[in-house]
Amino acid sequence: MSTDGDFGFSIDITVRNEWRNVDLLRTSVQNCFTAVFADVDGCHAIAMVTGELLENALKYGDWVSGDRARFRLRVHGKASQVVEVSVQNPLKGDEQHASTLLKAVEWINGFAKPEQAYRARMLQIAQNDEDEQPSRLGLVRIAFEGNCRLHAKVADGTVTVTAALDLTPQAPA
Amino acid sequence: MENLQSGDLTIEVAVTPESVFRCTWKGKSNERNPPEILKPWFEKLLAAVGEKQGSIEMHFEKIEHFNSSTITALIRLIQICRKTNVKLAMVYDQTLKWQRLSFDALRVFEKNDDLFHLRFA
Ligand SMILES: Nc1ncnc2c1ncn2[C@@H]1O[C@H](COP(=O)(O)OP(=O)(O)OP(=O)(O)O)[C@@H](O)[C@H]1O
Ligand SMILES: [Mg+2]
Repeated sequence: MSTDGDFGFSIDITVRNEWRNVDLLRTSVQNCFTAVFADVDGCHAIAMVTGELLENALKYGDWVSGDRARFRLRVHGKASQVVEVSVQNPLKGDEQHASTLLKAVEWINGFAKPEQAYRARMLQIAQNDEDEQPSRLGLVRIAFEGNCRLHAKVADGTVTVTAALDLTPQAPA
Repeated sequence: MENLQSGDLTIEVAVTPESVFRCTWKGKSNERNPPEILKPWFEKLLAAVGEKQGSIEMHFEKIEHFNSSTITALIRLIQICRKTNVKLAMVYDQTLKWQRLSFDALRVFEKNDDLFHLRFA
């Protein structure tokens, strides 16, 4: 993690594909940012976003034939501005998850406010009595709790999901 | 009713003389598939509550983190409790922004029936 005079910072690492790394990295990111910024809630949000994106990479990435070196976490930005958290993973050949992902991001970004998307998804989950797998709440949670704009890119057998968190202090409601 | 202990997550249960099953969540719910662990435990809890005609109070003030699939398991619990007429309360720490956001959003499931409600400690 590097910082300069105007509190720019960046984390850029290749990650081993083990489930326990989600929590190791989530808490590391939280601790790093807590050490730099006073905004504890903002640090928790960055960490939550990191955890959800890493979970998805591990659940839906190609860890059999995919290039493991393409599992990468990047966090960069400036204090009190927009922080970008981005996770890249190799993709399975059938691309079914890629299309689900792109549709999910488009669906979320179609709402005027992310909280409307979150509410809508919660109500859908409640209506589906049967245990539906997977739950599809992670990305919409990122958008809502992280107050984020989501972006997903699929190219050359690799998926990159980016969440841009707006940490500019909000005027009290 | 036994506590739940799985990975980084503990849920401690204490039953009051009024048969309120007070469940305190501690640690982190960060498993790959939390419903796999939570669902069978919730089923046992509901059976024990049913036997005593009691109610449930879930306390989240001490939990550090949970992933999105945990929230899905909680939404399912709310639905089951309502269907089976079991009173359920969820208690959170409103001084933590992430808890306020996560739990305030669950207010969409509050109705006038008094079966499910949220409150902060
Ligand atoms: N990194 C990724 N690579 C490929 N597909 C992905 C990736 N991230 C998400 N997806 C697809 O998008 C869907 C939605 O992801 P989201 O995180 O919202 O929910 P989920 O992982 O299904 O469930 P939850 O996060 O609630 O446990 C996934 O089910 C998967 O099909
Ligand atoms: Mg997910």
